[in-house]
Amino acid sequence: MHELSIAVSIVDAVCEELQRRGDPRLIAVHLTMGALSGVVKESLLFAYDAACEGTPLAGTQLVIEETPGEEFLVTALEIEDERDAAD
Amino acid sequence: MSETRLIEVRRNVFKKNDLLARELRARYRDAGTRVISLVSSPGSGKTAFLERTLTELRGRFRVAALVGDLATDNDAARLARTQVPVKQITTGTVCHLDAEMVQDALEEWTLSDLDFLFIENVGNLVCPSSYDLGESLRAVLMSVTEGEDKPRKYPTIFHSADVAIITKIDLADAVEFDRAAARASIEAVRPGMKVLEVSARTGAGMPEWLAEIER
Ligand SMILES: Nc1nc2c(ncn2[C@@H]2O[C@H](COP(=O)(O)OP(=O)(O)OP(=O)(O)O)[C@@H](O)[C@H]2O)c(=O)[nH]1
Ligand SMILES: [Mg+2]
Repeated sequence: MHELSIAVSIVDAVCEELQRRGDPRLIAVHLTMGALSGVVKESLLFAYDAACEGTPLAGTQLVIEETPGEEFLVTALEIEDERDAAD
Repeated sequence: MSETRLIEVRRNVFKKNDLLARELRARYRDAGTRVISLVSSPGSGKTAFLERTLTELRGRFRVAALVGDLATDNDAARLARTQVPVKQITTGTVCHLDAEMVQDALEEWTLSDLDFLFIENVGNLVCPSSYDLGESLRAVLMSVTEGEDKPRKYPTIFHSADVAIITKIDLADAVEFDRAAARASIEAVRPGMKVLEVSARTGAGMPEWLAEIER
């Protein structure tokens, strides 16, 4: 259940970031996950889909990069490029 | 077909809890309340140790306790026998306490009326490590019956704590507890960490613990 509450925190954080950027269409969330953060990758991936349901993040992908440290951060948002979308 | 583009954000996911914990920490400081949390695996003796601690402090200080549990208020009932104010936080399916739960639980209490507030976390050696509760001291407990290598197996919780407490020391001989191996395991994940050995049954080690928190 721990991973679900973390997934909800990710969704909350990403929603805020999207809003601040004028709600671009999100494709994927890139996350750096330290081995010492105590989070299980598979469980988090599973929880992420559940947490996204009914939010602007529904159907997006979570891309996890594993590192040795304690850090746990959203590093980047992959969005649809407006310039092309306008074509 | 549209192209995609990456925007860099570098945002800490635990930010919300971290911010709230920082607020709590400031409130505790302003109120002059020393907040101490206990974490351990289920059954390591948090409640027993806390019962003894509350009983020993209660005559000289204003103390209270919060206790987290998934489903019951058994621990709160045990702690309430020490006659200090106790509040249960029932977490449902959540495997740890977070700063918001603590904040909500504190709503009816006036912090400045308390010298010490103890928080017993849900029995779990993994999840609580990621959630700062604003406490000024976090103690991680391990009992002599659960294996000397716990620190090496669960380094993150030991990283998040300030002091390690080896509990049920009265049973050490019966289970052939290897004191040196346990200390080496703690030292390996957290060099220089303070280690105390206690028994809630006999009271061994309690003076050292009380000296540590009354400093
Ligand atoms: N011999 C001995 N037994 C102890 C000691 N401390 C706790 N126990 C026993 O260990 C068992 C678990 O103790 P608790 O205090 O309930 O442990 P806990 O960590 O609060 O457990 P949870 O809240 O369920 O995670 C009980 O049967 C206690 O009586 C001790 O110092 N010596
Ligand atoms: Mg307990």
